[in-house]
Amino acid sequence: MNCPLETRENAQLLLDYCTRKLEPESVATLERHIAICGACEEFARSQRAVWEALDAWQPAPVSADFDSRLYRRIEGQVSWWDGLLRPFRPPFSPSFGKATMWRSLRAAAAACLLLMAGVLLEHRAVAPAPAPNDMAQVDSVQPEQVERTLDAMEMLNEFSHHVRTDSPDSKL
Amino acid sequence: MAERVKTDIGTAALALDFDAELMLRVKEGDGASFGVLLEKHRSSVVHFLYRMVQNHAVAEELAQEVFLRVYRSRSTYEPTAKFTTWLFRIATHLALNALRDGKNERLQERLDDDTSERPVRQVSDRRPSVEQFLVYQAKLDEVRRAITALPEKQRAAVLMHKYEEMEYSQIAKVLSCSESAVKSLLFRAYETLRARLAHMA
Repeated sequence: MNCPLETRENAQLLLDYCTRKLEPESVATLERHIAICGACEEFARSQRAVWEALDAWQPAPVSADFDSRLYRRIEGQVSWWDGLLRPFRPPFSPSFGKATMWRSLRAAAAACLLLMAGVLLEHRAVAPAPAPNDMAQVDSVQPEQVERTLDAMEMLNEFSHHVRTDSPDSKL
Repeated sequence: MAERVKTDIGTAALALDFDAELMLRVKEGDGASFGVLLEKHRSSVVHFLYRMVQNHAVAEELAQEVFLRVYRSRSTYEPTAKFTTWLFRIATHLALNALRDGKNERLQERLDDDTSERPVRQVSDRRPSVEQFLVYQAKLDEVRRAITALPEKQRAAVLMHKYEEMEYSQIAKVLSCSESAVKSLLFRAYETLRARLAHMA
């Protein structure tokens, strides 16, 4: 076997061997070569060292609220049609399904309340007219009457002003 | 006819992978299948992105965007490739964009700041001495710096090859290049890493 390091294509074999991605039949041939080739032995040793060093790098676990944050973002983007169909479709997860169900129920309850309030208001708008006596009282106050009352109050004011200016105290 | 086409697509997806079939169910409005996909690929996507951008908060934010895009694209999804190829193509695209956007940011500072995000589990499980812990931290820093020093595409290729155990053909599809280009990327990347990390043996 020629030294794999002579060409890059063959060196790829050595890399595959070190990353355990080489077919078993090629492994035996390559191992026989590595046993007698210092350069390939050094390549394999350093590549294994890199592989082990990379193994040591383990990231922190994913945040516990990752899924719920994602589902909230998805919920925020669904169309009104999807939102309407959501209760009839399988939820993302049982726990999120429960949360969505409660939200849907709350929304439905709020809609019912709004509907009831609307019906009540409508009912008031078409409520029976007040009793005739009350109407008579309201209708009896005419604009002319209000005007006359205001004139009378003005005259009374003027009169009391004159009375004050004519009194002996005011002359003093 | 439409039913037959649907069945054909479903069969093709099944032949491709189970994930693609799940995604087809998501397309039909099955939220639970999306939950299964998320459960299955959440960690690998977040960890890949973390190793790319080396910041846990940024990695999780990008991973959220990845899954959000998957969900948004459900109506147009066609199982033309493995699901993970599509998933990692989105993840790589977002990671490369994030790296380019923040190229002038204080990367060194991020590397230093990120020490608090390291998994405590490893340390506490093995109960190492302070000296061992410091040696471990120094080694980890060296690995991270060596990976950061790689050009972005080489970095993505190494991470998919090493940690996701992807085939050359799949990495090629994710990176939109030829298989030989991937082999060349990996060869050069490992050459650089050997020069920087071989002494750790």
